[in-house]
Amino acid sequence: MSTQTSSTIQFPYKRTLGPVISRFFSELTAQRIVGIRSGDRVIVPPMEYDPETGNQLAEDFVEVGPAGTVVSWTWVAEPGKHHPLDRPFAYALIKLDGADTNLLHALDAGSEDAVSTGMRVVPRWRDEPVGRIDDIVAFVPGETPEGPAAGEAQDVQTMDYFSTITYTDVLSPTLERYAASMRAGVIKGQRCPQCNRVFLGRGYCSVDAIILGEEHEEALPDFGVVSNYTIVTPTPYPGQKETEPFARASVVLDGDEMVIAQQQIIGIPVSEIRVGMRVKAQWFPAAERDAAEITSKGWGTVAGFIEGWVHTGEPDEPAEQYMNRVF
Amino acid sequence: MRNDSDIAVISTAYLPSVRRNDITETEMLIAVIDEALGKVGLKRSDIGFSCQGSCDYVSGGTFSFVPNLDAMGAWPPIHESHVEMDGAWALYEAWVRMQHGDVEIAVAVGSGKSSTGDPAEIYINELDPYYLAPLGPDPVSLAALQARQLIESGKTTERELAEIASRSRRDAANNPKQQLRSLETDVEKLLAEPYHRTPLRKSDLPPISDGASCVVMATAKKARELVARPAWIAGIDHRSEVHNPALRDLTDSASTRLAAERAGGVAGVEVAELMAPFTSQEVVLRQALGLGDDVVVNPSGGALTGNPLMSTGLVRIAEAAEQILSGGRNRTLAHATSGPLLQQNLVCILEGDN
Repeated sequence: MSTQTSSTIQFPYKRTLGPVISRFFSELTAQRIVGIRSGDRVIVPPMEYDPETGNQLAEDFVEVGPAGTVVSWTWVAEPGKHHPLDRPFAYALIKLDGADTNLLHALDAGSEDAVSTGMRVVPRWRDEPVGRIDDIVAFVPGETPEGPAAGEAQDVQTMDYFSTITYTDVLSPTLERYAASMRAGVIKGQRCPQCNRVFLGRGYCSVDAIILGEEHEEALPDFGVVSNYTIVTPTPYPGQKETEPFARASVVLDGDEMVIAQQQIIGIPVSEIRVGMRVKAQWFPAAERDAAEITSKGWGTVAGFIEGWVHTGEPDEPAEQYMNRVF
Repeated sequence: MRNDSDIAVISTAYLPSVRRNDITETEMLIAVIDEALGKVGLKRSDIGFSCQGSCDYVSGGTFSFVPNLDAMGAWPPIHESHVEMDGAWALYEAWVRMQHGDVEIAVAVGSGKSSTGDPAEIYINELDPYYLAPLGPDPVSLAALQARQLIESGKTTERELAEIASRSRRDAANNPKQQLRSLETDVEKLLAEPYHRTPLRKSDLPPISDGASCVVMATAKKARELVARPAWIAGIDHRSEVHNPALRDLTDSASTRLAAERAGGVAGVEVAELMAPFTSQEVVLRQALGLGDDVVVNPSGGALTGNPLMSTGLVRIAEAAEQILSGGRNRTLAHATSGPLLQQNLVCILEGDN
């Protein structure tokens, strides 16, 4: 049985537009399409520079379209979630009247039979324009634009763009064994036969670039010493769940130089955390242990299995032993 | 005659292209680097410089090249770099680095696991965020717009595209490292298949692949010590065009033509490995390069039958080099591309000693 883990990365972009794209999007809000002159050519959508020479262009805008002619097209019979329309449609390259270049956009024509190279198309305008390329919902066949009456142009300076990607990872054989061991409450590492260092959930030695297998695995203690820490005062940003100052500590497991970084210390105020403090793992209850944080895309993690580390009550190790280290 | 400063490819390796590889990207790289070094009896400590090509969006993690770098080892200390591009551009950077004259052995790698994400979802993040990304175009739709222009301008036919698919699949059947090795090769039957995105059929598209590749380069003295027949890099160049495909002539590739001229030209080229993940793009590249009918194109099976993103281009260089290292050819061409619809193109000309 293989374990699948899923992760979603989101990018909530707010982009500034610069003088040329800003003008283009501002005009769209008033249902006008503008190009930019480069010599005797008109480039649509407008660019800050000539696409062929790279020369910066004067901001000499000219209105084009709104009707145009289809130069190329393809039919999307089964739209996906990232496509602009939820029914079958065409992507098309459209040469707007008065333009010397093509514009990529969607074409809502009902059926594939209704689409052909050379056909005439016009915009269907969005009901409430915001100043984006999709203020044109799609192009449609004909010469008469569709949509509400045009309003005043807005001054559009930025654009929101929300991007999200979901990944489904199947754990490698090494990570599968690692996850099984962690579910059972045992930290299992792999010892490199060349340098004798131990690595968690990785499958290879990071120093010697040697593949490590099941024969190199051994159980490790789930207690050790805080070797370093930092206290973070959180500032709000997308994805930040912390609201109060919190600590992230490095824990060196007993007996080896195996450092587990970015750990929470539980049960004491952050101001009392210190280098040299002896700690032990506080495992999540067996039923709550979760491999979701393990991926094939990085180094081993104990997240999802170990909630944090608690002070054992034993005397501290001398802090000096842990100086001059990165972690 | 070769100069002492000349640089040759001396060894190559790439993993079989598969729909999903269960091991991690780092483990894939360790395996492929071991194989390439092993062929010429080198160790990691012999490497003067290495460069990786990979992509965080494909890998699904920020700084994903950092764990990948573990495949080079950490001791003794290493000199390395990374490009957020196909491994072919990693090779270009390593080749540039070797021009300083203080590095005898350099390694370029490329790796990608497309299996963990949806390429159509990831691809949008490669596009112009203002004019293109909000419209959500997927790579196949864009390729179809290009293919229709090629067909309607008379530069190709659907039959020629089917013939390219057929030839690629027949070649792949002889290359155990390609992914699509037992699919239909009868042109009439391919033409009878339904469209996926008009005018393209599934046979015109590449598979989704995981893979990794490694190419080892050496300066002249080392190259002659280590292999009988080095694949000399006679020229290498890459050129870029405007990003937005709607602003380009999609039936031509001026940047490919210019890169080939700067790399020494196509005269005498016997074999060309072209990174054409769509049949229609092979047509564009052949015509832009002016390749004659006597040039063997993509004998490996090409990107059409195995397309591990971030490695596909470096595999083209590896295959073109092997035509000289082990195949006895004298002059071969490798091409790699990046960006939507052949935006950026790299051409590498390789030569053997007569």
